[in-house]
Amino acid sequence: MADDSSVAPGCYAAALSALPGMGPAYLGAILGEHHPRDAWEAVVSGKIERPAVRGEDLSGGRDVRAVDGSAVTAPDTTSKRPWRTLAASVDPVRWWTAISQHGIFVTWRGQVDYPTALSDDPSPPAVIFWRGHIEYLDAPCVAVVGTRHPSRDGTGVGFEIGRDLAAAGVCVVSGLALGIDGAAHRGALEALESASGAPPVGVVASGVDVVYPKAHSALWEGVASAGAIISETIPGRPAQAWRFPARNRVIAGLVKLVVVVESHARGGSLITVEAALQRGVEVGAVPGSVHSDASIGTNQLLFDGASVIRDASDVLSYLGLFTSGGPSRSDRVEQERNRGVHDPGPHGDRARGRGRSSDVRSEQALDVISRRVLEAMGWRPITTNQIITETGLGTPEVMRSLDVLTGVGAVTEDEGCYTRVS
Amino acid sequence: MTATVSSATLVGVEGQPISVEVHVSTGIPSFSIVGLPDAACRESRDRVRAAILSSGMKWPQKRVTVNLAPSAVRKGGAGLDLPIALAVLIADAQLPAQAADDVGFIGELGLDGSLRRVPGVLALAHAMSVSCLVVPPDCASEAALNPGVAVKSGGNLSAILACLRGRKSWEVPKPPSQESPPGRCLDLSDVRGQPLGRLAVEVAAAGGHHLLMVGPPGAGKTMLAERLVGLLPPLDICDALEVARIHSAASLDLPAGTLGVRPPFRAPHHSASAVSMVGGGGTQMRPGELSCAHHGVLFLDELAEFSAVVLDTLRQPLEERQVRVSRARASVVFPADVLLVAAMNPCPCGTNNGPGSCSCSDSARQRYASRVSGPLLDRFDLRVRLDRPLVSELLQDSDGGTIPGDCTSNRNESTEMVAARVLGARAMSSDRGYPTNSAIPSNCLEDAAPLSTGASRLLEVRLRQGALSARGLHRVRRVSRTIADLSGWSGALREEDVYSALALRSNVLSRSPGVSYGAEAVGARNG
Repeated sequence: MADDSSVAPGCYAAALSALPGMGPAYLGAILGEHHPRDAWEAVVSGKIERPAVRGEDLSGGRDVRAVDGSAVTAPDTTSKRPWRTLAASVDPVRWWTAISQHGIFVTWRGQVDYPTALSDDPSPPAVIFWRGHIEYLDAPCVAVVGTRHPSRDGTGVGFEIGRDLAAAGVCVVSGLALGIDGAAHRGALEALESASGAPPVGVVASGVDVVYPKAHSALWEGVASAGAIISETIPGRPAQAWRFPARNRVIAGLVKLVVVVESHARGGSLITVEAALQRGVEVGAVPGSVHSDASIGTNQLLFDGASVIRDASDVLSYLGLFTSGGPSRSDRVEQERNRGVHDPGPHGDRARGRGRSSDVRSEQALDVISRRVLEAMGWRPITTNQIITETGLGTPEVMRSLDVLTGVGAVTEDEGCYTRVS
Repeated sequence: MTATVSSATLVGVEGQPISVEVHVSTGIPSFSIVGLPDAACRESRDRVRAAILSSGMKWPQKRVTVNLAPSAVRKGGAGLDLPIALAVLIADAQLPAQAADDVGFIGELGLDGSLRRVPGVLALAHAMSVSCLVVPPDCASEAALNPGVAVKSGGNLSAILACLRGRKSWEVPKPPSQESPPGRCLDLSDVRGQPLGRLAVEVAAAGGHHLLMVGPPGAGKTMLAERLVGLLPPLDICDALEVARIHSAASLDLPAGTLGVRPPFRAPHHSASAVSMVGGGGTQMRPGELSCAHHGVLFLDELAEFSAVVLDTLRQPLEERQVRVSRARASVVFPADVLLVAAMNPCPCGTNNGPGSCSCSDSARQRYASRVSGPLLDRFDLRVRLDRPLVSELLQDSDGGTIPGDCTSNRNESTEMVAARVLGARAMSSDRGYPTNSAIPSNCLEDAAPLSTGASRLLEVRLRQGALSARGLHRVRRVSRTIADLSGWSGALREEDVYSALALRSNVLSRSPGVSYGAEAVGARNG
């Protein structure tokens, strides 16, 4: 966490990053040579000017590609005024003091609290703003990302992986977007709720105090207070479109493994995958139905050689960590094999272990009717109407046993359909 | 010289008695109608003049003034043609004044003097206090449904004049036959499988609970809805007359020669406008589909495809069982005591067979489901999720057949058997003093639907889980009462009654993203 001595230079670093046309590469170069306060004074005195031409610039979007293949920066459109006059009109200390009163901190490359994983990054963020506790990134980090339009099943898997990784002490890094990202964060927060675990970290494209998407405001606060939210964007500024792929490279740079739970054929999570591959970070994907649009991207990743991730224990074994808690899906396959049952049934390996599943597997305690209902259900979502037809039982009996089965966690209910989960 | 003839005009679904007064005096020949006539009514001057001339009578070459009293009521339609023509002839002394004493006249005139039918004759006849009513032959049998009025008709104006002078005898329609027409009714035994769907329509018919069915195309939602109306008890004379009056006002065809006692079934297309649903439009304020389904079933197929405005206009009429349509010109109350039955797909692609089994994303499913607003969804006491029947059910014999493990013998009960149970349940409900169980006020539930120990324990668990709201609790109790009544049990609600009621109230639609994944936990910690 930033102490008093670092607040003063921090405000200059923050102010430098707020200058129009300032990109991470240029700012990184400036801060590599100068103390932030000296750099700011150089800007005020006109010694450091707005770059006319930049090389590979991650702020992107405004660059045009010249005929010879080099990138040329187009004139900045937000403010035409030179940095000198802009800088003269702000007081970085007062500005930053006001922001830091909201619990927002800043760090830059070379500082102690700058995430270690990013220090050797090919295109590291020059400054990082954060809320919460950035030191949680010292734990082993895994990105759990995916589409903003997941299937119901994908949301559940994202939630489970987030929850089980957090419970096993892995920091879940994601983008706080709708869909899989949010599900993974919720899972991690639930693990903290019920037991100890590693808090999640959200990497966002807007300022850390600008909630996007609005629907995630409660989740945003939950992640900020339990873990951390980090961003390259200065506080108070909404995300521009180009910030999202830039954010994805930060996620890829922070983690040891990128898990894609679900992705459409051309999903944004594939940008994270690309960034991970550039950095030599391993990529894993959760297999999905070949019929599901939300799994086209992930199934393609698996086809291209990504690691198969079935649940959190697959992630943990990749990281070389031990699993804790109930038997994983992979263990169960192993057990079945040892028992001589070669084929676990057409749908046997699709059952989603939910932690509690181990105690209902041996459901001797279930009454005859409940067992009959469970057997009639199969492994796909099924309506009450179908259960009544299949079992030939009366409506009250079926409802009663569904109550029992839901109570022991063998069945979940969603949209009037019941799904057997163990 | 003046003359007065009785007639009536339609305001909403009610008749309004009108006195047609005609004054004929010397002066420059002219013809004017006063008393708020609408365009169709004002044009009657040309029809009346042509009809009188083609009937061999003379048109008075004098100053003719027609007043339609009471003058503050707007008069619409062409039904006043016949009384105006007769009043002109009486005022011109071409017809004796006593000919029209205590006789009401309704009818549109053709240029050749022929008589054309007029909408709402039944309501008009009901409103007029005359002992004898002359109407066009096309709607004579309709008017004759109204008890206490002698209905007569003649084919054209000259025939009516001849009858009035006593030179010819009136055409008298046959009195309405007392028994209902045999008419084929769709039978519930045609429906294969769908045990929960069958239970739902039975409970809906017995308790008057609104029903929402969600399921993929081909699940039999429409089939069930069409058969629901056959389960309702026949209307009594008073209700049947009310329904017939509304249908008459809406220009719907009434069953010929008899009073229809079968409850109406209306299934408007989902492109329906708000006005077509609740009524209004024009001077006469036609009743909408809601009123046409009065005392019967309003079936909204593809509920999610109706416009949100249309659906939300239904909310208040469903509560109050009537709809007040107010316009600048008039404000009319239409009766709207309907049993609402709706059907929709669970998601846009329609092939869905449970969450995650189709290609629709969660957000698409939620957007689709959110087309039905929460308050409207709340009006449905019964919400069931249906699916396509199994192949074995489709192929089984209609006389019951066998399903392995079938222990309920009533799988393919006919409409007759179920309707008998519905009648019994309705009798139990009216013994308690409520027309149906859905009308039990929540403060009377403790008396009408007391809970057994098991039932109250079960409901307590649901309430604590947050799976049931206070309002939901009342609704479950009403439905449970109906289910108990159907099984002939009038005591405290048993656990199985409540279980069945809960099976008929499932979360059929995709709602609130992330709720099942700990969103409340996050909110609670930061709240």
